[in-house]
Amino acid sequence: MKTIKLKIDGIETTADDRTPVLAIAEKLGIKIPTLCHHPILEPYGVCRICTVEVRSGKRVRMVTACNYPATNGIEVLTNSERVRRDRKLIIEWLMSRCGHVPILEQLAKDYGIVEPRFGRGDDDCILCGLCVRVCSDIVGANVLGFFGRGTIREVSTAYGETSSRCIACGACAYVCPTGAIRIENDSELVRQALPLGPLTPIAIPFMQAVPHKPVIDYDSCIHFKTGECKVCEKVCEVKAIDHKQTDQIEEIEVGAVILTTGFKAADPHAIPEYGYGRFDNVLTGMEFERMNSASGPTGGKILLANNQEPKQVGIIHCVGSRDERHNKYCSRVCCMYALKFAHLIKEKTGAEVYNFYIDMRCFGKGYEEFYHRLLEEGVRFIRGRAASVTDFPLNDKEIGKLVVRVEDTLIGQVRRIPLDMVVLATGLSPAEDAAKLARTFHISCGDGFFMERHPKLAPVSTATDGIFIAGACQGPKDIPDTVAQASAAASLVQSLMSKGEIEVESAISVVDAEKCAGCKICNTLCSLSAISFDEEKKISVINDVLCKGCGTCAAACPSAAITARHFTDEQLFAEIEGALYDVRA
Amino acid sequence: MAFRSHVLVCAGTGCVSGDSFATAKALETEIQKQGLGGEVQVIRTGCQGFCAQGPIVIVQPDGIFYCGVNQKSAAFLVQEHLLKGRPVKNLLYSPPAEEKKSPIPALKDIPFFAKQKLVVLRNRGIIDPERIDDYIAVDGYSALVKAVTEMSPEQVIGEIKRSGLRGRGGGGFPAGIKWETCRHAAKARDVEPVIVCNADEGDPGAFMDRSIIESDPHAVLEGMIIGARAIGCHEGFIYIRHEYPLARERLVKAIEQARDYGFLGKDILHTGMDFDIEIVQGAGAFVCGESTALMASLEGRVGEPRAKYIHTVEYGYQNRPTNLNNVETWANVPLIINRGAEWFSSMGTGEVIENPWNGSSGTKVFSMVGKVNNTGLIEVPMGMTLREIVFDIGGGIPGGRKFKAVQTGGPSGGCLPADLLDMPVDFDSLTSAGSMMGSGGMIVMDDQTCMVEVARYFISFLTEESCGKCVPCREGLRTSLEALNRITQGKGKADDIDLLHEIGAVMQDCCLCALGTSASNPVLSTLQYFKAEFDSHIKDHVCPAGSCKDLIEYVIDPEKCDGCHACVAGCSTKAIMGDVKKQHILDKTLCIKCGACVEMCKREAILKVPRSHAA
Repeated sequence: MKTIKLKIDGIETTADDRTPVLAIAEKLGIKIPTLCHHPILEPYGVCRICTVEVRSGKRVRMVTACNYPATNGIEVLTNSERVRRDRKLIIEWLMSRCGHVPILEQLAKDYGIVEPRFGRGDDDCILCGLCVRVCSDIVGANVLGFFGRGTIREVSTAYGETSSRCIACGACAYVCPTGAIRIENDSELVRQALPLGPLTPIAIPFMQAVPHKPVIDYDSCIHFKTGECKVCEKVCEVKAIDHKQTDQIEEIEVGAVILTTGFKAADPHAIPEYGYGRFDNVLTGMEFERMNSASGPTGGKILLANNQEPKQVGIIHCVGSRDERHNKYCSRVCCMYALKFAHLIKEKTGAEVYNFYIDMRCFGKGYEEFYHRLLEEGVRFIRGRAASVTDFPLNDKEIGKLVVRVEDTLIGQVRRIPLDMVVLATGLSPAEDAAKLARTFHISCGDGFFMERHPKLAPVSTATDGIFIAGACQGPKDIPDTVAQASAAASLVQSLMSKGEIEVESAISVVDAEKCAGCKICNTLCSLSAISFDEEKKISVINDVLCKGCGTCAAACPSAAITARHFTDEQLFAEIEGALYDVRA
Repeated sequence: MAFRSHVLVCAGTGCVSGDSFATAKALETEIQKQGLGGEVQVIRTGCQGFCAQGPIVIVQPDGIFYCGVNQKSAAFLVQEHLLKGRPVKNLLYSPPAEEKKSPIPALKDIPFFAKQKLVVLRNRGIIDPERIDDYIAVDGYSALVKAVTEMSPEQVIGEIKRSGLRGRGGGGFPAGIKWETCRHAAKARDVEPVIVCNADEGDPGAFMDRSIIESDPHAVLEGMIIGARAIGCHEGFIYIRHEYPLARERLVKAIEQARDYGFLGKDILHTGMDFDIEIVQGAGAFVCGESTALMASLEGRVGEPRAKYIHTVEYGYQNRPTNLNNVETWANVPLIINRGAEWFSSMGTGEVIENPWNGSSGTKVFSMVGKVNNTGLIEVPMGMTLREIVFDIGGGIPGGRKFKAVQTGGPSGGCLPADLLDMPVDFDSLTSAGSMMGSGGMIVMDDQTCMVEVARYFISFLTEESCGKCVPCREGLRTSLEALNRITQGKGKADDIDLLHEIGAVMQDCCLCALGTSASNPVLSTLQYFKAEFDSHIKDHVCPAGSCKDLIEYVIDPEKCDGCHACVAGCSTKAIMGDVKKQHILDKTLCIKCGACVEMCKREAILKVPRSHAA
């Protein structure tokens, strides 16, 4: 690219040939007003407010800075008298259409217009076309267009009707310089998508994410809906974004696997009496955690949906745990994280905090002490399972509040507590596909949690050699326990690897090729998938390493082709006989 | 079979509106009836240009010009002229200015024709535009043969460059330079170039392009094929406005015939050159005459202009290098190739062989309308003075009224006053006088024309036709129109003239396309030459031309009115009352100022006077 020299407002500078004047001026910090310009869109050049004076030799031209390609030797004046005269009239013209738009009022102030000569119109669309262009060029939805010619020109959808092509992405409202476009929100959807989720389809999932890189959410990304947009690709300076990337399946051969597939937070939708999804200010533990995070959408502030701080907050314990209708077990972690929430709410907002609990389970080092500290801080504890959350007031105090109905078992009364916010201490459920995963790895799975080989002696091993488990996939547990288990599993794997060899069982089953009829009954029976079928020889074959010599196959083989090694039937009978010898004698 | 005589009947839109097809039919019937079928042939030709006198019939080889020949007089014409050999006196043309009418029988002697120089319109009224053989008989397509067999593309471009041919669509950009740029741009980027013929003639009162296509469509096609050869392209479009059905029909026929004869399509004249032309209809937007808007429309998008800092000749239709020329420009090409650049540049002004910007060579077709005796289509060499055009060819102002101004260049042109009548008509003179050549509309105005109203009319036309894409054009025209409306209604403010000046200047600075930057010309040029009229509207509330309805009223002169009652019949709103033989009264509250009563009154008792301020 050729480099050219030019002068802008007396400043000599260089730039690539045919760079738009506006871009060069911006680099020099010279402000040129724009209305129809947006960096992600091609210059359009219709508002003409960025008009500048360009001199080359004797020739003087008035051009629009946004799209005028600079050439060698030109001199640009961005604020000459002529430029100001032209811009002033353009502002007055625009105000005769849109007289009360803030961006125009500011421009009018900048250009010394006290009262526009053509009056002030009541419209708020300046016909800059940004919305039309973002919808067609970026989003690719082509919902908006210009209709009518000349003075009756307007932005509209086809025939002025609601378009089924609109994906409600909000890009038009985002680029509109005058605020003429408003998106009518479905408040429920927005509460789900905006304050507590990621703000954009492309985001770093959370501050501690590893790797610390943004990811694209396939479901909400406009590109995957319409095939257009790719704004992120345009603005990424290092060109790191590749929309063509797809999920890849890679096969890696390993000698051992540690399963750490975790849990799924219990779904409070299943407990409709707590009103989750119906009330804006009923949050799950995870949502509250996200709000509470310094990198979250509120910057760590605890706020209600109306951006006010709560005055009273309730925390309902055992949501989805210790419940006959859901998970019967105790999720182990909820009491402690609920106490942490209570402490933080108290500290950040000074709000009154109510805990509705069945039993406080603060086992282990330092936990009980923390509970006592909260009692001293004045956090309220009401012993009793919360019955329901409602917004139906019975008295003045309850108007505009969420009311928790609860039986206080310590005083033997049903109470109604009015609150601003309710946090549900949701429990831990097994991951949805745990059973499927267990089948893949030939391990057993009870209650949706993976079974260890032995609850006391082999807590991280499984019945299958080389498969280990750690963390909440084995059962509900907190972070310290998870870390301890994971370390243990890692050590076991390490010990396998450092040995460099593995010991296999000697007492395994073998197939007598002569006798095997190829019925395949044993193939499906083997819980360890140690038996496969040799298609060439039409017989079943046992993998010596996988077989643990349980003998199930041997017992089931109709043609008695499988024998379990070590003691043969004859040997066992001989031993029995030997043992009974004295008796008989 | 040779005919003794040919009767040429004009079949241009003007004469067709006067039912010249019926005239032709009547002529043929009578010729058959008189047994002259084997001797006389009737030919329907393209526009003769003298539209005011239609339907026009010319009898060849005598060259006798008849005008206003209707169905009835056709039979008489056959009997008298063709059978008995006597020209029919009362159908001959008589100049209007003379007191004693002496008809001029020969076409070549009629001043309207005598001063014209026919280059583009060389075949008008001579050939049948729907027959390619007629065109070939007058050396048609010989330039194409020359261009593809004897000349290299560079030589063709060189010839056009040296001829000094400048774009006839209004801009006056040298055609040769444009062709060369297009060819180079295509070569450099290795992209197929396109050529386009702009036949989206939208100026009110302009019909040059239509007449050229209607009278000689093959000339346009031949020009385009030569252009395609020079630029090296295989695809061409003719963008024609929807309102020109006859022209479109003739083009379609001409293209079909040219394909049959091997002038279009694959392997043209067995030289291996491929080129074809497609006709695209505009949807009726004035702005589509602008190059970038035209190309957007060609591509099937909304016809709106785009910023033109990158020229269409480099990035035009589908981002391909696109050479756009007007109908008249293309029609000039075959003659330049045939007769040479020297011959072409000998007409017109300036030394253009070295530099086409030095002058205006060749001829220009104008459609002359308005307050002039000989309205019609004319072609004159560049550099002829306005006086020669308006008074010699145009025959002066009807009713012996005073010439006031001539508006050139279409709605974005300007009004030139009597002082400038001796100005030569060429691209640069018109531009420096605040008007422009435009595509060649010429509207003559007499002293009854109000210049404020003229400016208001054009601005109102442009306001309706502005696409509304950029702010200065959309809002500038609207605010100009508001100010002009105020002035013509007698409500003008003292600072309105300054405001109009400011709006005009900012529009010239800031509009997106050439239509916008020139849209203030009608206001600025009338302000320049006729400011006094604006002043009298604003300060005195008087329209000097007596044309602005809000500033005039009609009164009945009691001295002159003899109560004949004629005016009562002519008044559609029953504003005039009075008994027969008694003095009549005009009710000003009912009068809509149509002026019909003035026409009815034989005693000139009804007067148009400035409106009294008390009212």
